[in-house]
Amino acid sequence: MAISLRNLSVDYSLPQGTAHALRGVSLDIQKGELLGLVGESGSGKSTVAFALMGLLANNARVTSGTATIDGKSFDLTKRNATASLRGRGMAMIFQDPMLSLNPVFTIGTQLCEVLRRRAPGSDRKTRVAMAEDALDKVKLGNPRRRMGQYPHELSGGMRQRVVIAMALLSEPALLIADEPTTALDVTVEAQIMREIIGLRDRIGCAVLLITHSLGLVTEYCDRLSVLYAGERLESGTVKEVQRQPGHPYTRMLFDCEVPIDRERHADASENRFTVIAGDLPDPRRRPPGCIFNGRCDVSFEACATVNPDDYPVGKEAQHSARCLRLLTP
Amino acid sequence: MTDAVAIRNAQLSFGETAALDGVSLAIPQGTCFGIVGESGSGKTTLMRAILGLQKLDQGEIRILGNPLVHSRAALKQRASFIQPIFQDPAASLSPRSRIRTLMNEVGTVLREPHAVMHERLRVILNRLGLPQSVIDKYPHEISGGQARRVAIARALLMKPSILIADEPTAGLDVSVQGDLLNLLQDIRRSQNITLVVISHNLAIVRLIAENAVVMRAGKVVEGGEVGSLFGSPQDAYTRDLLAAWPSIAAANTKR
Repeated sequence: MAISLRNLSVDYSLPQGTAHALRGVSLDIQKGELLGLVGESGSGKSTVAFALMGLLANNARVTSGTATIDGKSFDLTKRNATASLRGRGMAMIFQDPMLSLNPVFTIGTQLCEVLRRRAPGSDRKTRVAMAEDALDKVKLGNPRRRMGQYPHELSGGMRQRVVIAMALLSEPALLIADEPTTALDVTVEAQIMREIIGLRDRIGCAVLLITHSLGLVTEYCDRLSVLYAGERLESGTVKEVQRQPGHPYTRMLFDCEVPIDRERHADASENRFTVIAGDLPDPRRRPPGCIFNGRCDVSFEACATVNPDDYPVGKEAQHSARCLRLLTP
Repeated sequence: MTDAVAIRNAQLSFGETAALDGVSLAIPQGTCFGIVGESGSGKTTLMRAILGLQKLDQGEIRILGNPLVHSRAALKQRASFIQPIFQDPAASLSPRSRIRTLMNEVGTVLREPHAVMHERLRVILNRLGLPQSVIDKYPHEISGGQARRVAIARALLMKPSILIADEPTAGLDVSVQGDLLNLLQDIRRSQNITLVVISHNLAIVRLIAENAVVMRAGKVVEGGEVGSLFGSPQDAYTRDLLAAWPSIAAANTKR
């Protein structure tokens, strides 16, 4: 087991009260595996990444949670618990690559900086060669020229490639990609995803892909976990979850996706779209029972009072969901 | 019937860059027309040109048969039949005034009595599923989805015959984007509005539009009836775009 995250809970203190952004979230990612963490706005998916990296805002507090990375355990409730892993054991790709690149340094300087930490004792020449090689591996044309350029001289897709090259150089055990392609066009998105998969294959790291796009997850991930209002509702292999969603929310999310080859009504104005009615529960006061109860289409009395455990779905051991319907169909 | 919007050979450069490079298209009245393409393809510039917010270097735009004139009076007059919904609706609401103030301006422009306008607004807010109390709020007090509805309500209040929406679903969760699209579908059916949707989301345009064009680097690379455009694309770029689209069904067959 390369990476495991156990019982992560995070609170944000806000002027209106304490918001419970995450409640007891657990994840497991094998080495060389791509796990998609899917959720809509407010589900807390980015908070998972920030808690792992130790990048939470000042008003956030980890109330429980341990991470096991490469055999070492980290108590996430302590400040800077994973500091020793940043740049070595863990790397992160953000939605906006401009945020992870320093505007006043050249690409080359920033890549070599990674190596100073990763490969101390190597001389400058080796580091430059390694950096150029990394840029070449992520298919950024003309690496020598790129080394001397500043982030603002590159396009969004090129910057994202630089950040991936950085991750490649740091050879992490866990790569976290938080909406890495959201700001990019579809054709660039496909290229960037290929680079992330290429990086995974090269260094055999575990990848946590945080996204709101089920399309991206089904296309590229091995397993997926569904997050809703700070709780994990389902996890399993992409194939199994897609074939037989264990939680109504997962099924509804899949229904809301608009496939490019969906059947089209000849009269375009007749085409309708699926919606999940209702709103997210108040993160300050969790209602009793199932967190999805208010919006569920198959709920029954017990759903309002009993908070469901994680129950197995189907025959596959790794596929589970938190829905009482799995006990009483 | 005259076309709602007809563009002939529109040319526009910003410095060295050609934002529009000989764009020609015709949008029939009462239909939904999709403009798709990636960032920098000129989609939004084209929208601004149609609204008369951006002068062309060359070429001609006709709205409902009349050539577009760049004057204050013409701009004001045009507002009564062509209305935009901008990509970031929250940014087009003034942070310092309540939604009510924004809506009242519509009454001023239309020279409509206050009570009549507010009665129409009440009906529109109902249709859009917005609480009546929303007009007493400031923009920061409402959610992104609500801000988009407010922008649509404002546009509809002007009683336009043409509605241009720039990326109407950008930044919305999948669970709520359907709601907005169903709403646009309802509006165009019940009020016979010409709807122009600018989007990078091919899957959505494919379903709501009758006709569409694919833009790249200021040019229309391909256009036509949506069924055949997406069913059997002729241009290599259109095919690339479609192939790059992450598809749930494709994953099904692959695995």
